[in-house]
Amino acid sequence: MVSLTINGKLVQAKEDEMLLAVIQRMGIDVPATCHHKAVEPFGACRLCTVEITRPEWDGWTKHVTSCLYPVEEGLVVSTHTPQVIELRKTILDLQLARSPKARYIQDLAAQYGIMRTSFEEVPDGNDCILCALCTRVCDEMGFRAISTVNRGHGKEVAPPLHEAPPDCVGCLACAQICPTNFIKYTDNGDIRTIWDKTFEMLKCEQTGQPTITRAFAEYLTKHRGIPENYFKLGDLKHRHETAATMGRVALWERQEKV
Amino acid sequence: MRARFYVNPILCTGCRTCELACSFTHSIGGKPGRSRIYPLPGGAPDLWVPVTCLQCDDPACAKSCLVNAITRNAETGAMDLDQEKCVRCMACIAACPFGCSLFDSFHNLVIKCDLCVGDPACAHFCPTKALRYEPVAVPVKRSA
Amino acid sequence: MSITTPQQLEKLHRECRAKRERDKKRVIVCCGTGCLANGAAEIVEAFHKTLKERKIEGFSVEAVKETGCHGFCEQGPLVVIEPHGTFYTHVKPKDVANIIDKSIADNQVIETLLYTDPVTNTKIERYPDVPFFSHQQRIALRNLGKIAANDIREYIAVGGYQALAKVLTSMKPDQIIQEMTDSGLRGRGGAGFLTGKKWRTCASIKDEPRYVICNGDEGDPGAFMDRSIMEGDPHSVLEGMMICAFAVGSNQGYIYVREEYPLAVIHLQKAINDCEREGLLGDNILGTGFSFRIRIARGAGAFVCGESSALMKSVAGEIGEPRAKYVRSVVKGLFDKPTVLNNVETFANVPIIIVKGADWYKSIGVPTSTGTKAFSLVGKVKNTGLIEIPMGMTLREIIYDIGGGIINDRPFKAVQTGGPSGGCLPESKLDLPVDFDTLTKAGSMMGSGGMIVMDDRTCIVDLAKYFLNFLVSESCGKCVPCREGLYQLHRIVTRITEGKATEADLAKAEKLSDAIVLGSLCGLGQSGANPFLSTIKYFRDEYLTHIREKRCPAGVCKALIRYEINDKCTGCVACVPACAYDSITGEKKKLHVIHQDKCTKCGACYAVCTYDAIDVI
Repeated sequence: MVSLTINGKLVQAKEDEMLLAVIQRMGIDVPATCHHKAVEPFGACRLCTVEITRPEWDGWTKHVTSCLYPVEEGLVVSTHTPQVIELRKTILDLQLARSPKARYIQDLAAQYGIMRTSFEEVPDGNDCILCALCTRVCDEMGFRAISTVNRGHGKEVAPPLHEAPPDCVGCLACAQICPTNFIKYTDNGDIRTIWDKTFEMLKCEQTGQPTITRAFAEYLTKHRGIPENYFKLGDLKHRHETAATMGRVALWERQEKV
Repeated sequence: MRARFYVNPILCTGCRTCELACSFTHSIGGKPGRSRIYPLPGGAPDLWVPVTCLQCDDPACAKSCLVNAITRNAETGAMDLDQEKCVRCMACIAACPFGCSLFDSFHNLVIKCDLCVGDPACAHFCPTKALRYEPVAVPVKRSA
Repeated sequence: MSITTPQQLEKLHRECRAKRERDKKRVIVCCGTGCLANGAAEIVEAFHKTLKERKIEGFSVEAVKETGCHGFCEQGPLVVIEPHGTFYTHVKPKDVANIIDKSIADNQVIETLLYTDPVTNTKIERYPDVPFFSHQQRIALRNLGKIAANDIREYIAVGGYQALAKVLTSMKPDQIIQEMTDSGLRGRGGAGFLTGKKWRTCASIKDEPRYVICNGDEGDPGAFMDRSIMEGDPHSVLEGMMICAFAVGSNQGYIYVREEYPLAVIHLQKAINDCEREGLLGDNILGTGFSFRIRIARGAGAFVCGESSALMKSVAGEIGEPRAKYVRSVVKGLFDKPTVLNNVETFANVPIIIVKGADWYKSIGVPTSTGTKAFSLVGKVKNTGLIEIPMGMTLREIIYDIGGGIINDRPFKAVQTGGPSGGCLPESKLDLPVDFDTLTKAGSMMGSGGMIVMDDRTCIVDLAKYFLNFLVSESCGKCVPCREGLYQLHRIVTRITEGKATEADLAKAEKLSDAIVLGSLCGLGQSGANPFLSTIKYFRDEYLTHIREKRCPAGVCKALIRYEINDKCTGCVACVPACAYDSITGEKKKLHVIHQDKCTKCGACYAVCTYDAIDVI
């Protein structure tokens, strides 16, 4: 265990924790748009920047992203200094210039008093805030179907060669994790389309309830050992079957006792 | 883990108190959440079976979770789903052969029973004691 | 032949050195990229062809050596006749026959090919007497222009791999690291981190395997120090890496060469192949049990991959994006293992520090910045090229004594140092000594050694715009302050050059720069606002003139200048057809007129007018 001071309060943390985890545990509201527990911290949005110092630094301070800075014994952390707040304001202002219509950014910027961007709106802006959560979760799940392409201002999230990605199984993790709902997909219960790739939906053989894509189910069978027949029914039917089975066992037990 | 969750369908009357208790224990923002436990017909007259997560020894849900959001809680023995890690890919819902990983479409959450972190509300309120959560004499270690 | 023991190396060294001393007469043809582009290959061919036809007593074609860059690129193609040191400039293939007849066969000097000192207007016969060279102290560049770039025997003849032998047979890793620390050598890639300290930290991490990487990315526009070393003296880099590997406990090295340096890759690979063949790379080097291998990894055209963590990602085959360096790469670097990353020039200094000792190296330069530094001196100086000077020499000495002053003796305006991340210093700072710390305190930085000299016809705002544009296109795009911030900063500076900005914009740019500096993930972003910050520090007036008066004093920003014909015009009609936009009218012997509504400020008329009759206002 490690002791450190955050906003004047002494706290304990586990040795391998990052500052942001401790800060969030304390209930302090530090924005971190590119952060998600399912993936490794990335340090791209810079909003979680905090000011750190140590008693022996004689007042000298450093600014670090709390998502990636490991806790240290005796560290002194300030999450809302005027300088840090100014930085967050500028970052959100810049994000608004690129994604003026993204509700997620508008709300966050409004919290910091920014109602509209003070910069030129970027000519080819869109709602993608380039947090790379989608590509990182796709990597984490093992598919690596999409990635960030191009350098600098032209950076975007795309499948290889902007074609239907061969490795995508249509799990929708990317669309679900996207904070601005930029990743679009269609799903009518029979066919799901995302990244210009179409997927057949598996359906409960008895109720017709759609479950997951055939491609995803095949992946789980092949790589995770989930038996193929588990996917033949939806969860509702599975519960009913469970009840019927357990009922039979209970009756049999009762008969045994009699 | 120091306790075990017992289900006795013979004592179940199908009153659905457990469903109510679970739903209110898991309310979000004042609204009742979706229940993790459902009494369902057992295949014989007056036979009801409360179906909830069996906290399997070899859980298909954890195996199917590609971001390792479902892990064994050493204290309660339950398979806990970390909501902050979950990416809502629905793999566990499709993979669980007992149908005990569910989707709360109102809150856009994947949910499953976590034994209320050691004090299951359903067992607490079950009028017939069809559901019981009782300590075991010797603590049991379960596989991750 | 394989060199399997230190004794064999010593024997080979003596043999090669003796041969070199026997064959005293040599013809050095500079084959640095600059001279190659100017026809050095054809000159070499001419030598080979002519020498085949004309047999000269005591001189064989093997004595024609293709060497690395001498550094005096302004005067190339260069040919030097050793041992006298006769220095021929602007040589053409047709001069070769004459050189052979007069200088080789007859020891005569060909006056017309000699260098004329622009300051004294006299011809100089010998290489060491040329002021451009006499003011320099070449240590990292010691072999450039002296030995054939691709011949391992030449390298061994001048003492190559002696340091390696010394280190493997008589020094412990601790001692080597101590020697490097004592020498005070600081990283030559720009950051200036103490090399010995870096090696010591890496050696102390209990994790394996460890890696040694040479950073040959050299992305700064106008910088070619590392390129010249990699092309002209590749073995010095290899030897430096080997010594480092032995000191920190590594068996695998990589040289990351930027995609745009194919010749460097060829020469380095040849050097590696030769070493492997001779047994100086591979297993059990010199029979001491030390094993080391080097592979070349090529970049793919990204400036950001010169940043150490992005470079390591690139070597590993991943996207070249930097990561936060709260855990340093000496601890977790390539493949998350302890890695020493040093610059080409840093490694080139290592062998000679081992041979001559830390005390010798410390005695050069200044206490906090020991040794020498290579610079690419370019821009509006008379003598542009590659130089190496002891730390502590002033900017004035470099620009005027070595550089020869400003072209056409125009007034000096500023010198830009440290590449895009550096800054501009005005005339008032010319007496500052060049070292790691002094320039940084003044608001610029020494960086990796780029030095761009500017005269009064350079617009500082336009220069800031140029460097910001470079950084915007080279940003990896991962973090918001750099990707979006530099873009917006570039937009503001562009509007200033177009006369569309207000003073409020200037304040906004300063505030934005603070955020970019504070918030960026890596060095590119953190120093990305420097083109603006350093120029606004010393040249605020120029910015204000653009904003308030909508005027560009240097006559560069197209939107703010006018081309006008003055009364020196003789009516020669030369400019009328030169204008591709038909914006000049004029009859013979009558004053011509430029029509401003059609003029695109391309400058073609200014270029053809021989009467100085066109003003840029």
